[in-house]
Amino acid sequence: MVDVSTPVKWLLRLVAVGYVFFLVAWPVGLVVQHTFDAGFDNLTEALSDEQVVGALQLTLMVAVWAVVINLVFGVGISLLLVRFEFPGKRVLSALIDLPLSVSPVVVGLALLLVYNGRDGWIGPAAESAGFQIIFDSPGMIMATCFVALPLIIREVVPVLHEIGDDQEQAARSLGASTRQTFWRITLPSIKWAVVYGVVLSLARSLGEFGAVKIVSGNITGQTQTATLVVEAKYQNFQQQTAYATSFLLILVSIACLVVVAFLRPKRTH
Amino acid sequence: MTSALIGASEVARPASPEGRRPRRFRRSTPRNTLTRGAGLGLGIAMIWFSLLVLIPLSAVIAAAGSGGWDRYFSVLRNDQTWAAVTLTVGQAGIVTLVNIVIGTVIAWVLVRDQFWGKRLLDVIIDVPFALPTIVAGLVLLSLYGPNSPLGIHWAFTENAVALALAFVTLPFVVRTVQPVLEELEADVEEAAASLGASRGTILRRIILPSLAPAIAAGAALSFARAISEYGSLVLLSGNRPFETEVVSVRVLTFIENGNNGSAAALASVMLFVALVVIVALDIVQRRVARRG
Amino acid sequence: MSIEVTNVTKKFGDFVALDDVSVSLPTGQLTALLGPSGGGKSTLLRIIAGLDSADSGTINIEGTDATRLPAQKRGVGFVFQHYAVFKHMTVAKNVAFGLEIRKRPKDEVKRRVEELLELVHLSQFSHRLPSQLSGGQRQRMALARALAVEPKVLLLDEPFGALDAKVRKELRDWLRRLHDEVHVTTVFVTHDQEEALEVADEIVVINEGRVEQIGTPDQLYDEPANDFVMGFLGEVTQLGDVRLRPHDIEVAVTPGLAGAIEGTATRVLRVGFEVRVTVATSGGDVTVVLTRTHARQLELVEGTKVWLTAASGATTVPAMVAV
Ligand SMILES: Nc1ncnc2c1ncn2[C@@H]1O[C@H](COP(=O)(O)OP(=O)(O)O)[C@@H](O)[C@H]1O
Ligand SMILES: [Mg+2]
Repeated sequence: MVDVSTPVKWLLRLVAVGYVFFLVAWPVGLVVQHTFDAGFDNLTEALSDEQVVGALQLTLMVAVWAVVINLVFGVGISLLLVRFEFPGKRVLSALIDLPLSVSPVVVGLALLLVYNGRDGWIGPAAESAGFQIIFDSPGMIMATCFVALPLIIREVVPVLHEIGDDQEQAARSLGASTRQTFWRITLPSIKWAVVYGVVLSLARSLGEFGAVKIVSGNITGQTQTATLVVEAKYQNFQQQTAYATSFLLILVSIACLVVVAFLRPKRTH
Repeated sequence: MTSALIGASEVARPASPEGRRPRRFRRSTPRNTLTRGAGLGLGIAMIWFSLLVLIPLSAVIAAAGSGGWDRYFSVLRNDQTWAAVTLTVGQAGIVTLVNIVIGTVIAWVLVRDQFWGKRLLDVIIDVPFALPTIVAGLVLLSLYGPNSPLGIHWAFTENAVALALAFVTLPFVVRTVQPVLEELEADVEEAAASLGASRGTILRRIILPSLAPAIAAGAALSFARAISEYGSLVLLSGNRPFETEVVSVRVLTFIENGNNGSAAALASVMLFVALVVIVALDIVQRRVARRG
Repeated sequence: MSIEVTNVTKKFGDFVALDDVSVSLPTGQLTALLGPSGGGKSTLLRIIAGLDSADSGTINIEGTDATRLPAQKRGVGFVFQHYAVFKHMTVAKNVAFGLEIRKRPKDEVKRRVEELLELVHLSQFSHRLPSQLSGGQRQRMALARALAVEPKVLLLDEPFGALDAKVRKELRDWLRRLHDEVHVTTVFVTHDQEEALEVADEIVVINEGRVEQIGTPDQLYDEPANDFVMGFLGEVTQLGDVRLRPHDIEVAVTPGLAGAIEGTATRVLRVGFEVRVTVATSGGDVTVVLTRTHARQLELVEGTKVWLTAASGATTVPAMVAV
């Protein structure tokens, strides 16, 4: 392996570490520090604020629903994309990635245009059937599903490709049904990919802001998620509560990162 | 939290050193191998995908198109909107250039260098992916806002926009380049060395060209993410018209004013850019696949 | 002498990969470094090329001390097992690389590349990317690339190791012919004794970081310096207190010869034109190979009592006690 000279090596190291330190590490550290400016007071105060607690519960509920839906959809679509041939597969596979590059604001607008109860394409019909989507949890769950849609698929598809279908065919030849083959052969081999996908989706779902802001209507105490509370509190000059809530969100996302970093097998060369 | 979020796993996966036949030689005309159960599954999945993604995005296009070209022009000719567009594209461009350079350097350091704390650096790179965007804004305010321990007060300035975009796009180039650099075979560089190439020549003629597709992919993703960013800017940039207001905020303002048509017009422009990025990535990936 | 390796030692941590190795390789020859995997062959080759450095000892190439020279300045061509192609360059660009680095005039580069592609039979592929070539073609391209800069010595590390058996054999013959044409001092690493015996002028047997023997293929086969070399170059069996090749054992179905070892044929296996017989003796199983005609004459079947002696003129080495 050809190496750079020592001074250049130090320069590159300095640039990399310095950039990441000033852009990410120090600022995040400061927020953690602000949270504990007054010991645990900020945290306990935030956790006794009904608005915060309600938002945290709502966030969790929305995120769990979104993850479960994306899990079922993601594993299903992955299997279809890898194990079957059908017309339009390439297009579908490209479209699946689309949500990664669509602005959350556009996601919110798109859902709003279709599902709002006044002049949406589907909204009024759904509402007259007693089913409110926009400004309520279904809309928020949909927005969250949208933004996190490809994450599980992107983890599972490469693994499915890699393991091939030899084992599945062997199981079939031994008399296993489709269902038995899935539960006993396919699922165990994609287990870790699914777990990573779920952790990633969870992190993304808990943190969604723009899309949820639009479809939820941001109604205090009703449709306000944790991220929306951070904005509201900060702009309300309750910065300590904003810091404390942010701290909780940082904690969860870093926990997700650590889980992924430790569970993911080392890249093999 | 790597290739999953950045959508470039194909770029990141070079072929084995053996002469593996490229896939495209085997490509046959689309056939249908769906079983009945799979067909049913595909049907349900497509209904959900349509309800969630296809119909809503079509609604944006339809709403944008309902006003004809006139609306596009009037929306884009509006000074405030135009200022937002130029600001967003300009800052996204600058940040992408920064990412190309620094992201490649970081990837290099992570792969080729050994030092205490490298593993930590590797994990921190992913923090911007995992952190909620609104929290990202708050985090940056703590160092670059009114109470900055550095004495830098960039909140509500153009710099704040660049800062927020740099934060949220940090991982893209790093995470597309890193695996490609890891997979670069040492013997290729050794071959160049034994043919007389100096370090600089090897870097310029062997390493950088091998990384170029990954850098391009990372840059495209980084640019796409930057022009669509919203959450991290809310607290940090102050959304001052003509100064720090970006396109997403403009769209949101239209929505809040009940002007969904204009919002859709502007949103469809953003969608178009997203589509261009996806197509560009696909082309890059195919070219890399050709190299094998 | 073209390459002089003197007292070279190389350690990876505590592990001694090369232990005081000295070899001298004459100009213009095709030499094989032969030995089992992990024996240190690649390490030695890489040290000669300057891709690794020795802990102690010296390397001399064509009369100049190269011990401290970087790989760029040694004037050696190196061919890697996995081709090490420059994936983003066409075949022609790959071959031209070394010449372009040396800033040779454009038309000279062009002419030389054409010549070399002709030499390795890749002329019609010059505009392809390496990924569009088969393994054997890639390796020929890599060879042309290494030859382009007119190296003083050509070093090949298991050049055919990644190829399938048929291509491997073709390329091996082709390398021999190429060498007869180009006459550049060539050293190639292999763990395949057949490859070394067929192609090389001279073989250096390396095992566990030490040189076991240096000699021509015939010398090695007929006069192995020790048990290891003998075992590595062909099948061996033990008869009494000597080790020898199974086809160097005489079989009789009646006692008579002095010193003959008595045994019973327990397995008689026909493989093509020869017959392999396993004989149980008091000293353990002995493998014997006879021609089919000979076996038929002896009416050899399982259960036949036989008397074994070493054929006169057989290559034998004393058996090591309790291995
Ligand atoms: N860079 C290295 N680091 C540590 N050990 C090495 C390295 N290169 C080679 N070795 C060890 O040195 C020994 C000889 O290796 P090598 O020269 O590649 O053997 P050969 O080519 O004969 O198969 C092996 O046991 C190998 O594990
Ligand atoms: Mg080797």
